[in-house]
Amino acid sequence: MSSISTSAQARTGINIGELVKSWFRNTEFVIFLIVVILFIIGGSINPRFLQIENLKILTRDSAMLAIAAVGVAFTILVAGIDLSVGSIVGLGGVVVAYFMMVWLLPIWVAIPLTLLLALAIGMGHGLFVTKLKMHGFLITLVTFGLARGAILVLTNGFPITGLPEEFTTIGQGYIANLIPIPVVICAVVVAIAYYLLRFTFVGRQIYAAGGNMEAARLSGVNVDARIILCYVLSVVCAAIVGIITAARLSLGHPAAGEGFELQAIAACILGGISFKGGEGSVLGVLVGALLIGTLQNEMIMLNINPYWHKIVISLVLLLAITFDYVRRRRRA
Amino acid sequence: MSREPLLQIEKLSKQFPGVQALDAVDFEVYPGEILGLLGENGAGKSTLIKILSGVYTKDAGTILWQGAPVEIHSPHHAQILGITTIYQELALVPQLSVAENIFLNREPRRVRAAGLVDFARMKREAEAILADLGVELDGAKKVQELPVAAQQMVEIAKAISRNARLILMDEPTSALSSKEVVALFDLMRRLKEKDVSVVFVSHRLEEVLQVVDRLVVFRDGKRVGELSGAEATDDARSPSTSSSSKGERASEEKIIRLMVGRQVGLFPKEDAKIGEPVLQVQNLSGSNGVRNVSLTVRAGEIVGLAGLIGAGRTEVARLICGADKLDAGQVLIQGKPVAIKNPSDAVRAGIGWIPEDRKNQGLVLGMDVKQNTTLAILKRISNAVGTVRADSEKEIASEYVKTLSIATPSISQQVGNLSGGNQQKVVLAKWLSTKPRVLIMDEPTRGIDVGAKAEFHALMSRLAQQGIGILMISSELPEIMGMSDRVIVMCQGRVTGEFDRANFSQEAIMTSATKFLALDALE
Repeated sequence: MSSISTSAQARTGINIGELVKSWFRNTEFVIFLIVVILFIIGGSINPRFLQIENLKILTRDSAMLAIAAVGVAFTILVAGIDLSVGSIVGLGGVVVAYFMMVWLLPIWVAIPLTLLLALAIGMGHGLFVTKLKMHGFLITLVTFGLARGAILVLTNGFPITGLPEEFTTIGQGYIANLIPIPVVICAVVVAIAYYLLRFTFVGRQIYAAGGNMEAARLSGVNVDARIILCYVLSVVCAAIVGIITAARLSLGHPAAGEGFELQAIAACILGGISFKGGEGSVLGVLVGALLIGTLQNEMIMLNINPYWHKIVISLVLLLAITFDYVRRRRRA
Repeated sequence: MSREPLLQIEKLSKQFPGVQALDAVDFEVYPGEILGLLGENGAGKSTLIKILSGVYTKDAGTILWQGAPVEIHSPHHAQILGITTIYQELALVPQLSVAENIFLNREPRRVRAAGLVDFARMKREAEAILADLGVELDGAKKVQELPVAAQQMVEIAKAISRNARLILMDEPTSALSSKEVVALFDLMRRLKEKDVSVVFVSHRLEEVLQVVDRLVVFRDGKRVGELSGAEATDDARSPSTSSSSKGERASEEKIIRLMVGRQVGLFPKEDAKIGEPVLQVQNLSGSNGVRNVSLTVRAGEIVGLAGLIGAGRTEVARLICGADKLDAGQVLIQGKPVAIKNPSDAVRAGIGWIPEDRKNQGLVLGMDVKQNTTLAILKRISNAVGTVRADSEKEIASEYVKTLSIATPSISQQVGNLSGGNQQKVVLAKWLSTKPRVLIMDEPTRGIDVGAKAEFHALMSRLAQQGIGILMISSELPEIMGMSDRVIVMCQGRVTGEFDRANFSQEAIMTSATKFLALDALE
């Protein structure tokens, strides 16, 4: 009821106080506000934090996290999860390097082939989840281990080096010497995901399947197909991040992406993707990733002992989850 | 029964939004008595049991327990008093053993301070408690490995070992075979010897007559009659079998009359032009218990599907709608056979289904009115790229909000915030937007208040006049008889009767609805 009355008042422009209040009820806005505050704090303690060079790094890191997080968000929207993200980031980078350096495939073959492999893995996840009614946690936990193992078999534990410059540009290059290419890729991914979820019937059916699977199914929604799509998108997004990572490091590193699933899932939760499914937006995930990216960058710029970084990120996550559950209990 | 009652209830009332579930009911249970509690679905039996077991709190009235007034404020409190309820879903821990369940939270200790459990003693004592009730069971066996009947007995033993004085059983025989029922009744008689009282709710009249000392009948939240054990069972226990069945018949008929003998309320049923068959179901069988069901619904016709809970009516609907797997049979829409493998086939064929459980099966509560209304037609209102056309979506939702007069502040309101009646209209809107030929409505007015009910019934009449065929499942006989052109009755997955409006009679419908139940108990 309250949201109805506030939007009505907003339209007539009578009650500005109510309007501001409704903004604060909006998770995306609150998270964005925290990012702004982090910027102000960071900039005032260390002016270099706000310089262009650092902002390039910050946005590039955040963009890579955002791409992976948007992928995971799809699986959480259908009341699942994808724990394989970090391992897939590693696998994507190693496989694309392997295709180029061992099989000597050209870039324009190596990259699509890598994405195709990701698609197959995601499809496998989706089939287990829909046909065997297995929780996504379990099957993606298997891939979490399998993919990391496959990396070691492919590389013998050594990085695959010597990647060509056309390829490394994907991770290291800039548009107009200002905007990192990963940020551009992120913008494209976010735009597609946003459009898909917000405006297409497929997106609506994903929300419906996550909100009430049985009701969606009985309304004729092909719930299985939607869930499989979500798991495919998750692995494909992670593989894209893997490719970018390899390009950025100029090598396929076997340890790349370790622990990345924690950050990606944290970005989703911070951005308001409900673990019950069917609730949350891509924009939320984007600001969630931006928050984590900013926090990490700031900890480096403010010379905080790197051993503490994981603790800080996890505490932020704890805070966000607690806040979310307290709010939900009050609503119930 | 000259003794003081164990439990005495006076003028007990309980109201739910729109329903007077219990209306100034008097009720008493004597020590060592087996009391049968009968009534149609919604008569108030379950409400009474839930108040006594501390799940609901009463609105008014007094409860005297062993002569003293009590307020039962929680299930735990009820247990402390000595009132235990055995529900259809059992309340045991399946992974623990029989003995562990019986002694849960008061396990015999070996070394008190160390908190070590004396498993041998626990097993011995548990088996002794069971043996005392005439049940032979291995105390070390895990509960999940036992059949339901044995689990029930473990639960009763647990209650007895905690000094229960009154055991309430809600449909305890619904999941049991005839043999297991006999064993349960033996156990009930043993409880009686121990001066423990049993209140026993069942739809199976025949069974009830076998075991009870006294019968109380509820209807519409009121106590409408009582039969003593002599009236109900003496005839049944007479030596000659022929007179026995005759006596049973007579008392059964008497009880059925008590259960349903009310005035059928006013239903806004209007005559519609009845046309060609729109839905024909032939020899439908499914693994969900439906056996060889055939039925026809014509354009403009409202067909009522009557029966007791568990008769297989919802399961028929699930088969027609592709929600459950079909083993055999055929579905024809407007005379043409259609293959229905999943719900989307059914939607395409022109079948709409308003399910029983609207919150879990009908609506996505977190979505708004507009999004729920268009859920089944999203593809149809999308362009070539797959983008949902926002203007047609708004138009369709606004149209149904108007024609069905859905009371909502806007089409962007979350359906979770609407009243039950309006939620049900949103479900209806969702199906109407698919332009269905047939609508299957499963308990369409359950849990919505009286005014909204009448409004929904009027809507049904209007839809029939527009040529839609309606198959309505309802457990409320007045609704079935008030709204239907024809009634089909089911029992145990089979069709057991069919009546035209001219031949409606509550007694005949109830007799068909319990047809196999009486036979089963006689085996």
